[in-house]
Amino acid sequence: MKNSQIIRTIARKLFPFILLFGFYLTLHGHLSPGGGFQGGVVIGTGIILLGLAYGVRETEQRFKEKYLGILEKLAILSFIFLGLLGIFFGYSFLKNFLPLGQKGCLASAGFMIPLNLVISTKVAAGVTGIFYTLIKYRGEI
Amino acid sequence: MKKYYYIIILIIMAILVISSINLEYGHPENLDFVNYYFEHGIQDTGAINLVASVYLDYRAYDTLMETIILFMAVIAVLFFLGKGE
Repeated sequence: MKNSQIIRTIARKLFPFILLFGFYLTLHGHLSPGGGFQGGVVIGTGIILLGLAYGVRETEQRFKEKYLGILEKLAILSFIFLGLLGIFFGYSFLKNFLPLGQKGCLASAGFMIPLNLVISTKVAAGVTGIFYTLIKYRGEI
Repeated sequence: MKKYYYIIILIIMAILVISSINLEYGHPENLDFVNYYFEHGIQDTGAINLVASVYLDYRAYDTLMETIILFMAVIAVLFFLGKGE
């Protein structure tokens, strides 16, 4: 299925800004409203927009379903691994073991930035995987 | 016969709702943990956003299980709707 030229061009031009906004929400999760879940959903929405404009078959050449699944499982394993690192450093499970830093700066709050990144990766890959599966099941687009 | 069950259940629900209107589920001055988060949250976790400090530091188990729930949802969709290799 081919969409009109206008829709495809707008989706292509809008895609990097949606990704940028998602990364902003993820990285500033400990400073402003937002966080891993919301940023991941925004990133996934960008990929879904490409899929709706160009068709899933063309989108899947860039964002392959196999690698998205691997990314998702890696993300959830690294979440648990980050929690276990707290035990290795002598604290309890999921304890903040990194230095807290200056309050209010981007590089503060210890391991919240890696946790937010991991959650964002996991949510974006999961949402995109669900979208691919549903579209293929219906056999449309 | 079924009608009477519905009527009895409705009466019991009405009695419960009316009797619990003035029940007090905690007084705002007695919520110690909420006041603790407000007073010590920034010093403990280093994050300005108190929501983030709760869901990534104090209640990190909750977030872990939440991500696992999404993982299970993806697995269920792939299992029921996916073609399989």
